[in-house]
Amino acid sequence: MSIAMRFEDYSWRYSRTSEPALKNVNLEIAAGAVVGIIGPNGSGKTSLAYSMNGLIPNQYNGIRTGAVYVLGKEVTTIPQAQLCQQVGLVFSDPEAQFTAMTVEDEVIFGMENMGLTIAQIKQRLDWVVPLTEIEPLMDKPPYEVSGGQKQRVALASVLGMRPPIMVLDEPTSMLDPMGRQRVFEVLGKLKREYQSTIIVVEHSLENLVPLADLMILVYHGEVLLVAETEPFFEQLGYLMKHDVFPPGVLEFFYQLKVAGHYPAAWPLPQSVAAGAARLRALFEEKK
Amino acid sequence: MKTTPYLSVENLSYRYPDGTLALRELSFELAEGDFVALIGQNGSGKTTASKCLNGLFKPTEGRVIVDGLDTRTTSITKMVVRVGYVFQNPDHQLFNSNVWDEIAYGPRNIQFSEEEVTERVEEAAKVVGLNASYFTEHPFFLPKGLRQRVAIASILALRPKVIIVDEPTTGQDVKQSLEIMDFLTYLHQERGHIIVIITHDMPIVSRYAKRIVLLGQGRKLADGPTSEVFAQPQILAETFVAPPQITQLAQATAELGFDPGTLRVNELLTQFEGLVA
Repeated sequence: MSIAMRFEDYSWRYSRTSEPALKNVNLEIAAGAVVGIIGPNGSGKTSLAYSMNGLIPNQYNGIRTGAVYVLGKEVTTIPQAQLCQQVGLVFSDPEAQFTAMTVEDEVIFGMENMGLTIAQIKQRLDWVVPLTEIEPLMDKPPYEVSGGQKQRVALASVLGMRPPIMVLDEPTSMLDPMGRQRVFEVLGKLKREYQSTIIVVEHSLENLVPLADLMILVYHGEVLLVAETEPFFEQLGYLMKHDVFPPGVLEFFYQLKVAGHYPAAWPLPQSVAAGAARLRALFEEKK
Repeated sequence: MKTTPYLSVENLSYRYPDGTLALRELSFELAEGDFVALIGQNGSGKTTASKCLNGLFKPTEGRVIVDGLDTRTTSITKMVVRVGYVFQNPDHQLFNSNVWDEIAYGPRNIQFSEEEVTERVEEAAKVVGLNASYFTEHPFFLPKGLRQRVAIASILALRPKVIIVDEPTTGQDVKQSLEIMDFLTYLHQERGHIIVIITHDMPIVSRYAKRIVLLGQGRKLADGPTSEVFAQPQILAETFVAPPQITQLAQATAELGFDPGTLRVNELLTQFEGLVA
């Protein structure tokens, strides 16, 4: 199993703050994994994301110690042009990444800069445009479409470059519930069909949890907990103490377990379908 | 018991200048005691509808009556003291160079005396929990949660009966979202405001809203108590909304005896204990 991303005793402090944004982070992310990063606002999630594609330290002033390896190479030794083909970042504020006057140009921008031919770009557009459902927007200025549409355009422009590692910073904050679900379906597809490594910073856990292989809790600049999804949420009491609000199904079964109604050996279900199956099994058992 | 509505939307249609028909024959009422969530997919007309409630947009057809006044013929100064609208992004509404001027902007525009302005600003700031040390701060240098409070205070200073908050929880973490919603609940319960929130966050809706108005393609698809609307997943799906996870779980296991209108984890636990006991 190859390693997509590794943090080694990594710390970062922005030059104008007295406290480090990230403290002594040690992490290893396997290639092909879907990883969820959670934690309250201000805990360092975005700084962690920016450290993955070299935005930190290349575009920010501050003090950096330790190392971050992307596909085996330390980030600061990889030329930026090469790094952005390896790690695609979707910003939480989609406008922050827009440069073009039409959605079409926006989506093409990254691919053009990679030096893809027109034929290759066309082929990728045929794939990414329906996938993100932005066909009707192609001629519009990216600034003028709705918040949810902006997020889909931002996603499409990064997907088009097809980086092996994708980092998404709250990619669905402006989407309606079904729009959210669709984004996670796209991520699931990327995982299955292209073995992409996908790292998602999210507050809304309902869609993330069933897809994630690995979960990371960041709190006050520290990585407090890293575990595979199932054992991660077994520690729900600890997570809730650190301002993690679990999706309803997980919380319900955790409370059942605490109250002694749910066998300690059974894992906590992570989706509605799994939860319903567990409830039926539980009722069978009680009969 | 039927209370007289404070605001009524009657067969409202709205067409944007580019020809897009955003609202189609929409009717609903807001009355004393309402805490409503306006929900529906992106583009369903939520924001357009809310901008018609305070006369910012005038109906293309139909009418909106607020406190006995028709928005088509009433000046905006009379509307803003009745229906306040807090933008999704506080940065879209904040523009003064200090917090005091920001909150005072509305009352000054209505040409209240400076004495009255002072009284209103101090009251609004107190309600949102901004102490005097913030008055000289530049709003843009405050953290987002505080910027949102300044935005709400600037609306409160006009003392509107109805407060519409567009996407109050976007970009906030869950804890911050709960704080904002608790604050809106305080405004509702203790200060008698009618609250309308526009949101995609269904757990927030189930926790706070008493009533849902569901929009799809500019039409009203459902209107009723939160648990009743969430108990109709087929109608919700028409406008790409799904009920919160815990409600979905109750619905998926309704054959075991769970209530398909369940809104909270506690409720489901209580039902579980009742069913297995």
